[in-house]
Amino acid sequence: MTQRQGEAIVLRTWPFEEADLLVSLLTREQGRIKGVARHAMRSRRRFGGALEPMTYVRATYAEKPKQELVRLDAFEILWSPLAGPVDYSRTAALEFVAEVLEEVLPEQAPEDAIFRLAVTATEQMHVGHVWMPVTYFALWISRLMGWMPALGHCVACGLDLRGRSVFYSDVVDGVMCEDDRRNGSELLSAASVAEALRFLRSPLAELAEEEWPKKRAADLRHFAVTLLERHLERRIRSARALERA
Amino acid sequence: MTRLIDELRKLPGIGTKSAQRLAFHVLRSSADDAEKLASAIRELKAHLRLCSICNNITDVDPCSYCTNPVRDQRLVCVVEEPTNIATIEKTRSFAGVYHVLHGTLSPIGGVGPEQLRIANLLTRLPEMDEVILATSPTTEGEATARYLADEIRRTEPRVKITRIATGVPAGSDIEYADEITMSRALEGRRELLS
Ligand SMILES: [Zn+2]
Ligand SMILES: [Zn+2]
Repeated sequence: MTQRQGEAIVLRTWPFEEADLLVSLLTREQGRIKGVARHAMRSRRRFGGALEPMTYVRATYAEKPKQELVRLDAFEILWSPLAGPVDYSRTAALEFVAEVLEEVLPEQAPEDAIFRLAVTATEQMHVGHVWMPVTYFALWISRLMGWMPALGHCVACGLDLRGRSVFYSDVVDGVMCEDDRRNGSELLSAASVAEALRFLRSPLAELAEEEWPKKRAADLRHFAVTLLERHLERRIRSARALERA
Repeated sequence: MTRLIDELRKLPGIGTKSAQRLAFHVLRSSADDAEKLASAIRELKAHLRLCSICNNITDVDPCSYCTNPVRDQRLVCVVEEPTNIATIEKTRSFAGVYHVLHGTLSPIGGVGPEQLRIANLLTRLPEMDEVILATSPTTEGEATARYLADEIRRTEPRVKITRIATGVPAGSDIEYADEITMSRALEGRRELLS
């Protein structure tokens, strides 16, 4: 049995056996793992509110030889989504991060940059101000996974598209010029292409100093979510819920 | 046997071991007892429905809470599930009526406002003085409470909206309370009357 301690983000929980919870965690050092929180359904004493999805914790756990599930011993809360006000959009934004991390990362493959991105993005998701951090997270995780296409030229004809609007579709890698766009293609405005480049150069805290209402760069958010959905080959439920909010 | 175990395992709080134990119990019991259990389950599904006023599970519509003249029909407590009513009733400290949502808002679970039973709460508001929001103190429970508070304020601004206090569980040591629980407990503090 190896005892471990380290930073982690709670992604999801499921009822398990009689009174336990099965917990999906993204740990900083070991990547995504699953563990069992014994008696967590009945007694909140050991874990309190720390098992809430997207809580950032210092987790103490034990690995048993030849067993896939670790034994979760204690969680110390470093940041909790419940420390601030909660509404539907903020819940959807936080669940979006959890849903994407769960789908994108294979088990036991640590990705320090993605871990730090998730912590930074969720901490910036305040009531009424979730839109920019959602876009930032979606664009950056695509880049870190190597899924971000070049926005500066048409993938079909090579035309220089810098400073221009581009077209994209969920059946094509890369962006297209107006002539080469497919049926059902969507438009990413020149202004939003410029925002995308700025998002990929700037720290989140700097962008957070500006006002980002739902409408601002909404097409960029849609582009980033479509890109993720294309690579995951599935719909991201929380992202859809967020747009309806 | 496997079929019965599989069905029992779907019940909340029943793991494989408990399901096997229950299935063996049924196997050993008399044919008469087994038939009584099966028919009780059938009858339940045949006769129970949701109360048209509060969405509680009932055999008569409206349910016994909604028609009870002793209960304060102008005070409503909103809960997530019918089972929450029993938990509140056990306290004997609430004499109003209920409204059951049958879930919480869950963006990741695909539950939006349309999937919850909210519409018939809003139509009850003209008859109400106070709505107590008793959803869980989780992210989804808080989001649901906030959504309901906004809808209630928009529909009937006169109605008082309250949220249940949450904090350190009774009988536990505050030594074990995490920061979130402790700060909730401080927010929900009340004056000690002499
Ligand atoms: Zn082209
Ligand atoms: Zn009723």
